[in-house]
Amino acid sequence: MRNLVPVFRFVTGLFLLAVWISNPRASAAQAVCPLDSLKPRQVKSLETLKQIPILNQGRIKPFESFAKNFLLLLSGRERYQEESAVEWMARFLFAPRATYDDKIFLINNPEIPEALKIAPEKKRRYSYRQLEAGYEKLKELVNVISGIDEKKQSVVDKELLRVYSNVLLYIRLSGAFMYAVPHPDFTFSSAETMKELDLPGEPGRFFSFFDILEKSDGLSRIMELLPKKNRTTWTARDNDAAKIVGSLSFWTDHYAACPLGIIPTQRHDNEEWLSPMDAIIQGFSDPVTGGEIKNLRDMTMHYWNGSQMEFDMSARAFGDSVFKRISPKEQKAVGTAPLELLYNTLNLFAWAKLFYAVGLILFLCSLLAEKPWMRQATIAATVLGFIPHVTALVLRILIMSRPPVSNLFESFIFVGAVCAALGLILEAVNKNWLGLVVANTGGFVLLLISGKFSAEGDTMQMLVAVLNSNFWLSTHVIAITTGYAGCCVAGIMGHIYILQALSRPGDLNRLTITYKNMMGILGFGLTMTFLGTTLGGIWADQSWGRFWGWDPKENGALMIVLWCAMIFHARIAKIINPLGAAVGCILALVNVLWAWFGVNLLSVGLHSYGFTSGIANALILYVVIEILFIAATVVILGQKNMKF
Amino acid sequence: MNLRPYFSQSPVVRVLSSVRVTVVCLLLLYLLTLVGTIAQIQEGLYLAQRRYFESFFFLAFGFLPFPGAQAVMWVLFFNLLCAAAKHFVYRWQRIGIIIIHAGLLLFLVSGYMTLHTARESHLTLSEGQASNTSVAYHDWEVAIWEETAPEDNLTTSRDVISLDTRYFRRGQEMDLKEPGVRWIVTEYHHNCEAYKGQGSNTIRNASGLVRFAAAPLFKEPEKNTPGGIFRITSGDSAGIDVLLYGGENIPTPVTIGFKTYNMVLRLKHFPLPFMVRLKEFKKEEHPGTQTPRSFQSLVEIEVNKAWREKLISMNEPLRYNDFTFYQASYAVDRMGRESSTLAVVKNAGRLMPYISTFVTFMGLVVHFGIAALRPRKNSTEKTSHA
Repeated sequence: MRNLVPVFRFVTGLFLLAVWISNPRASAAQAVCPLDSLKPRQVKSLETLKQIPILNQGRIKPFESFAKNFLLLLSGRERYQEESAVEWMARFLFAPRATYDDKIFLINNPEIPEALKIAPEKKRRYSYRQLEAGYEKLKELVNVISGIDEKKQSVVDKELLRVYSNVLLYIRLSGAFMYAVPHPDFTFSSAETMKELDLPGEPGRFFSFFDILEKSDGLSRIMELLPKKNRTTWTARDNDAAKIVGSLSFWTDHYAACPLGIIPTQRHDNEEWLSPMDAIIQGFSDPVTGGEIKNLRDMTMHYWNGSQMEFDMSARAFGDSVFKRISPKEQKAVGTAPLELLYNTLNLFAWAKLFYAVGLILFLCSLLAEKPWMRQATIAATVLGFIPHVTALVLRILIMSRPPVSNLFESFIFVGAVCAALGLILEAVNKNWLGLVVANTGGFVLLLISGKFSAEGDTMQMLVAVLNSNFWLSTHVIAITTGYAGCCVAGIMGHIYILQALSRPGDLNRLTITYKNMMGILGFGLTMTFLGTTLGGIWADQSWGRFWGWDPKENGALMIVLWCAMIFHARIAKIINPLGAAVGCILALVNVLWAWFGVNLLSVGLHSYGFTSGIANALILYVVIEILFIAATVVILGQKNMKF
Repeated sequence: MNLRPYFSQSPVVRVLSSVRVTVVCLLLLYLLTLVGTIAQIQEGLYLAQRRYFESFFFLAFGFLPFPGAQAVMWVLFFNLLCAAAKHFVYRWQRIGIIIIHAGLLLFLVSGYMTLHTARESHLTLSEGQASNTSVAYHDWEVAIWEETAPEDNLTTSRDVISLDTRYFRRGQEMDLKEPGVRWIVTEYHHNCEAYKGQGSNTIRNASGLVRFAAAPLFKEPEKNTPGGIFRITSGDSAGIDVLLYGGENIPTPVTIGFKTYNMVLRLKHFPLPFMVRLKEFKKEEHPGTQTPRSFQSLVEIEVNKAWREKLISMNEPLRYNDFTFYQASYAVDRMGRESSTLAVVKNAGRLMPYISTFVTFMGLVVHFGIAALRPRKNSTEKTSHA
């Protein structure tokens, strides 16, 4: 195989060839794909493909994670109908036209399909073919929005930009393996040329970009003579060669800069990974890179032909070749792929959610008719929920080689785990269902919310420079989220205390136990939130030179500390009774939510986007319900002469 | 000598030591934090910080005097001192409470020290460039220095008279000993636009500016550009009117007696304890993304006439006495030359929050630890429902 440079030298040197290059036929490269009407036979198992490493969003991840994140980004789901993310992604990459009618583009706002003159879909998901019809309008609208200050963009504007960016990404990625697929741009009218280039078949047969590339030596030989010839004396062979070289040039330009990092560069100091076409442009002359490009071409062909064994062999050969030549740091990242695949396969958070839900249902059933086995069964369900919950956290730590909390999604799963742990400890001490209710409620609700955040794409993003410091992440963030968990548990217990007071106000022993546990946990929450807040100050001092800057996130944490301290001092001053402290604990929970989303909420109206405004609405609804609950409690318990 | 009975009798101590005062202060601080956070949307961080957190009092809703966080913290400080004198039980079982509140007292003291002694500025250097002064973010000064012969301009230091503009008011007068003149503020705007063209031709300005149009203050203070007209009188002379504008690049020369002085309105400059030279700036991104992975400035500093290298990166600042240099930002100009901005903080009480954090946290651990380990009085009801 040879470098493309000699071929392109002729392209740029020949005026007549320029006519071919700008030929409108070339611009129809995608539109006339002969495979349009054909369906790939597909291979049955994609196990080998799953493991192939991809560099995406700054991180080396297995193909399966890349596929899941891409599908999540586009459709908000990890599957497409009956297909797994990997199956759909393979179809999309190897035979993109076979996905043109798949309804995978999620459009949250109904105004957008209306503006694009697309019939609205009930499930809010649209196919590429549907969006293609409104593409020009979409582009026009995006051009207008791009001129608007980001802070002034509306929710619809943001959604339009998101959809446009997804469509562009889809288009660019869809060309990643086109180099391997036969196309009419690469046909010959002269049998003589085909013979000279040692290409099989009859004139008119479609070849792929890759097939022609392999014959670049022969093509160069023909092209070398062309500048010496008059255009009018060109033979069919010369015309064929000029046309083919023009197509090669157009394709390398058209499919360049594809965002699929699958082939590492040859230099260890360059951490970029390239798409097959970009690798062809940069280093096809290198036999190893050329071999890898051929492996990927073979995978495409075998996928189309449904040849399982050949597909697997090509995938393994490709994976082995890549692994051998990447840097030790990259090899370490690739080495965690089996763990990540295990993490993907086990779907541990779903299991944890399921068992926590079972625990809650058992508790509710026990309220109707308590049986001795029910508490043991609930303990078992809670532990069975807690084990996959913690296992998933540990797997994430091992995969990312960093502490468990570095984004909002992880903060939910971590706080959920701490709530469950605190609940189990409480149950071990009190043995009265209290801890079980706390563990299952906290674990289930927080995992449920985290699911909404995972819908945004990769939950293992790389960190920006200021966060890229394990020591401060592992101290400040863990302390503050543990503090959040403590206050959440105290809030849940505040609810329990009030419900107990409502149901059995005379049972002082039970109320006292709940009260003492509630205040103890609130103290734990206060201690950890205080530590987290001040460690955050130390982190800020280390990074920016100021301990305290009154920024919204800092203020949110300070408000939790002040509120908890106020509850304790108000009890000492006898301004409030245990019932008042319970209300205070519920409001501490509201405070935690404010601190957790404070910054995002403040942005609403300034730069709101789909999900944040959704969170804002949900939070406002929650606060309203909580206030109504407290108001109703005050009225009902006031009538029973219970003092707050 | 037990002073507790003596303190307890004082009515001031009796009121100030009340836990109710603590609760009110905590509630006020809570409300101020909430309001000060929300106000940042409209007013920006700087103005909200000054209005709600650094003030003693402010007008809520434009007419209602309300205590600012500084006033509340002073009350809390004395409340804590009085409570420590009157109410605290100094026994081993209560050691946690005592440590917590000692830590909080330290926090309040460190907050006061930071407010009054810490100074933040920045230093922007292109690769190869050196400097021994840093520049304030949004505090301005009128700088006056004597013009020297061109060959003396190669020196690395000069004596500059600095007039703090924060408190400039129309009609304000001050005596400047060095040039031996009286400085009168005729007009001063914290944010304005300056214009050339028709106006008084008796006003001196190097750029030909003659008048100002006052503009409202931005919520981001660094966007404000001040300007002022000043009258300089010496002896019985009628005086010279000088116009200085923050947006100018060149100083205005004014001759007083036999000497010529350059005057400029500029962001405050602070001397550094050494010369800093930027050798190289490096920026790394996560591969295939625009997400920054690290920023690093390789600088040389001249200490005791010897140069030594130091790498400053995110979370890895350069510390020297009370000074700390942090990697803050960077820029690339049209020619592709990189420059790095280092935040320069001078804070004598930098370690105070560290100590306070440690002390308070230990107190909390001891207090709640003792409470958790205390023998339980009530037996639990094993199967009762929550």
